[in-house]
Amino acid sequence: MKKIASVMTALVVTGGLAACGSSDGGSSDSDTVTIGSIHPTSGPLAGVGGLMDDGAKLAVADINAAGGIKALDGAQLELAGGDSQGKAEVGQSEAQRLIGDGAVALIGTYQSDVTQNVAAVAERGRVPFVIDVAVDDKILEQGYKYSFRVQPDATSMGTSGADSLVKIGQDKGTPIKTVAYLHIEGAFGDSVFDAFKKEAEAQGITTVKEITYPGTNFSDATTQVREAASINPDVIVATGYFPDGVLIAKAVSELGPDIQGLYGIANGAFDDGSFPAASGASGQNVLSANYHYDANNERVTDIRTRFEAKYGKPMETASILSYQAVEVIAAGLEKSGSDDPEKLREAIAGIEIDDPLLAFDGPITFDERGQNENATVIVMQVQGDNVEQVFPQEVATKDLVFPAAPAR
Amino acid sequence: MTDTTAPRPTTAHELPAADDPRLKDTWMRRQLVVLVVGVAVLSLLPLLLGEQAQSVAIRTLIFAIMAVGWNLMSGFGGMFSFGHAAFFGIGAYTGAYLLVDHGISPWISMVVAAVLSAAVGVAIAYMCLRYKLAGSYFALATFAFAQMFLLIVQNLDVLNKTEGFNVEILPSDSWSMLQFQQGSPLYFWIPLAILAVAVLISILYVRSRAGQYAQAVRDDEVAASSLGIDTMRARLIAVALSCGVTAVAGVYYTQYYFFVGPEQAFGSAVSVEAIIPAVIGGIGTIWGPVIGAAVVGPLSELVATVLRNPPGFLSFLQGTSGLDVAVYATLLIIIVIVMPKGIFGTIRDRWRS
Amino acid sequence: MTEATTRGDGPTRVVRVGTHPTTVVAVTVVVLLAAVFAVGGKDSGLVTQSIVTGLLLGGVYALVSIGLTLIFGVLGVVNFAQGSMLTMSMYVVYALVAGPGIPVYVATLLAIPVMFLFGMMVQHFLLNRLTSTGSHEGPLLVTLGIQLLIANVLLMIFTGRPKSVGTPVDGSFEVFGAIASYSRIIAFVGAVLVGVALTLVLRRTSLGLSIRAVAANAQGAALVGVNVRRVYALTFGIGAASVAVAGGLMTPFTSLTPSVGEQFTILAFVIVVLGGLGSVLGATIGGLVIGLVQTVGALYLPGTGSLILVFAVFVMVLFLRPQGLYGAK
Repeated sequence: MKKIASVMTALVVTGGLAACGSSDGGSSDSDTVTIGSIHPTSGPLAGVGGLMDDGAKLAVADINAAGGIKALDGAQLELAGGDSQGKAEVGQSEAQRLIGDGAVALIGTYQSDVTQNVAAVAERGRVPFVIDVAVDDKILEQGYKYSFRVQPDATSMGTSGADSLVKIGQDKGTPIKTVAYLHIEGAFGDSVFDAFKKEAEAQGITTVKEITYPGTNFSDATTQVREAASINPDVIVATGYFPDGVLIAKAVSELGPDIQGLYGIANGAFDDGSFPAASGASGQNVLSANYHYDANNERVTDIRTRFEAKYGKPMETASILSYQAVEVIAAGLEKSGSDDPEKLREAIAGIEIDDPLLAFDGPITFDERGQNENATVIVMQVQGDNVEQVFPQEVATKDLVFPAAPAR
Repeated sequence: MTDTTAPRPTTAHELPAADDPRLKDTWMRRQLVVLVVGVAVLSLLPLLLGEQAQSVAIRTLIFAIMAVGWNLMSGFGGMFSFGHAAFFGIGAYTGAYLLVDHGISPWISMVVAAVLSAAVGVAIAYMCLRYKLAGSYFALATFAFAQMFLLIVQNLDVLNKTEGFNVEILPSDSWSMLQFQQGSPLYFWIPLAILAVAVLISILYVRSRAGQYAQAVRDDEVAASSLGIDTMRARLIAVALSCGVTAVAGVYYTQYYFFVGPEQAFGSAVSVEAIIPAVIGGIGTIWGPVIGAAVVGPLSELVATVLRNPPGFLSFLQGTSGLDVAVYATLLIIIVIVMPKGIFGTIRDRWRS
Repeated sequence: MTEATTRGDGPTRVVRVGTHPTTVVAVTVVVLLAAVFAVGGKDSGLVTQSIVTGLLLGGVYALVSIGLTLIFGVLGVVNFAQGSMLTMSMYVVYALVAGPGIPVYVATLLAIPVMFLFGMMVQHFLLNRLTSTGSHEGPLLVTLGIQLLIANVLLMIFTGRPKSVGTPVDGSFEVFGAIASYSRIIAFVGAVLVGVALTLVLRRTSLGLSIRAVAANAQGAALVGVNVRRVYALTFGIGAASVAVAGGLMTPFTSLTPSVGEQFTILAFVIVVLGGLGSVLGATIGGLVIGLVQTVGALYLPGTGSLILVFAVFVMVLFLRPQGLYGAK
């Protein structure tokens, strides 16, 4: 009996420790405002998760250096970091911890499933949640009032990806009729593909062949690409993540089908800074329709330069989105003049941010679902060791090369 | 199980026969007292914990229910399951499907899920046992089934494929829909009650005829069957109880987290989460899985907290991503190596000697 | 030697029945593939491509599984860190390539002793005490811990950004109208070489004899003077060393992240059981079969469908032939 009792005591002590451990984190006093940042900084997605966390940190540092939140007498921002480890339930408890620690707003989380959990926590905790990256349409279809998303959703990327492709074909006098579409299995790939197909067929692309591949245990894309090539498409389109994107580019280059180009939509590889090195010669001329930082914006160039100097790695688009999400919250604080989360939500819902850091169609404004109305994609192309913006003309940093037959 | 009898010389000369009513009474009474006291003490936790710590405590309780369920089959029944994600997932998805698509109360889902999961578990175990799979092979077979369930769910339209289910947030508290204000202590008390029932089932089962048979079969199958024990039946009862309990944890998961997708329900990480607390705490003991969960559940959180605001001499480590998990992994390895019988098993052995 | 022959009944039987399952597997595979060609309703070039891809992929699977079959077969350890050890060897190769600029395939040779030592140390310091008590769950959890540890230490050192070493032997090769890249062919040849080398070690050397003896009966082997713990450590070392070969040869066509190897662990277990515990030949054939099932199956069951097929094959093998293709019952 005694031993059991002592075990029970140990148990309670453990629980108590957890309580003390977590509650001493950040008591928010009046002159700091805490923003919670939830990203997968460990686990399989740690690479991008770390970049995003650093992007948010840099934004906070910049805002503080510029005098903090003026509407709150120069209150300083503080970023409280959370690690979702790539797991939905961890993301949820991190969100609860951050809200408990006094975060007035959250940003995150890169993954759609984790984002759904955090969105539910934010909704019930009545704390605004600005989604930097997470693609699934469904997240904002729950009728949540407290969730906002800066990046375009899957459907709009599929639609504008198709639209850009058709326009590129018309501009270059090589109309595109047949497309083979390779995409990763699951909600992300499916919804981008469905939207693409609908828009493409409406705009005169006659054939769209769909080929899916699994997200796990996928280490050779040759068969899938061969199947795609078997219908003699004008263009092969691909939607997926980084490793599969590299495999597809390599397989396309090895098989050398007679196509006008390999074109990614919402592809996690083709416009990533490490893609040219990872894919070597096979990456040359690969096109990618994706949301992207605006390389012609001087502020972006400045931020990216300082980021690289500070963290020793290039600042990818996802990281810029985290930076932008912090700016959205800061602008909300300026507008509401209050660090009350509910007032902050009101402010963010009606916000208008001119000069976004991303190449969007206009200022950042949120519709009634919380989706950024002007979020869109632009087209990039790998040229040499760099990813260049090539379409539409207004945002181009280099001339578009099209047809862009894959290198062999 | 017979730990409490050991220090008593009076009973030492006679083997602690299972159905000796006196022994049964004392042993059982002690376990029940511990259970009642434990629940009473733990139910005070929400009053002490902040909301953030409470969410960790609830995650821990879910682990504990899974581990207690796993232990019924793998500890007492001797069939090492490496696929409890299958049964947890059946629970999580039954709850989600019935609630989201049919508006059925999760309380009913708990019963439905437990029965369904038990049936599936019995079917899988029956096939494995019929083909005489044991040890690592049994484990790998259960693992394969869990993986197949994962892949099948990802391909089934009616279960939303990879999209998963979102539970609708209700405007006000509802007992029938098991939904309360965020941070409500009920979110802690309900899984605590479920855990108490699961432990109670363990206690009663271990001393029941079925449980005694299952343990006899585990220890020596040939001897047990020569005594006329229906070994298949004895084992399948253990499996049914185990899978049923685990499924209830799954139903609660969906309720508490408001979202479940294939990886959260059927991913191989879930199977591992059912095993770790039981092994750390002590396999085949009543309290081992609970103690193991109480240690492992908050552990990664504690490590992360310490490293988030590290003591001065470690401050250079702050912000190194991956460090918290690496430290957690190291602690896990050390615990297993230092206490191969689990925390409860090792402490019990120390105490006896 | 005579003693070993009597004791080594299992292994000698492997040799005897060895030809038999190979024929069965070969005939089955050929018949099924012929059926795919004849009535599969797919373009024959595509089918050829999927077969070539499947075989090359199978070579990679075989490489990863050969190490695991020894660890699982001899030590009985369900080594969940197998995939992470693969990742680790990839990063060792990457570090040698990116740092001193050593060519990939030379770096692979250098990674072999590194991983061998690592494997021996894991067994010696972390697993020995647990394996000798014969529990499953202890070693399982320790290897799970090692998996987490490797992934996160790599994350701390190299960050999670994808790394690549580039392809030293660029280009590809055409067989029957199907494309096969040189780097994958090299990996395939490597798998065959490692398989042959390990089979020779197991059959022809005294170390191999001790390993087989310990696998068949550890207590008996100890009685005749085999240092079982040493054999365990060496076996784990060899298992890790063959993973080093796998990692090195895969690096040219893989984007490295700290968890890239984990996806191979589960398939490796499927392959090991399919081939029969401890059978190097079985792991090689099993790897090729699973590679084929996955790629040719993907023509009909796209996405994860072909993986369901893989697990269905696995469960059928478990039920109907639990000793695997090459295992002695």
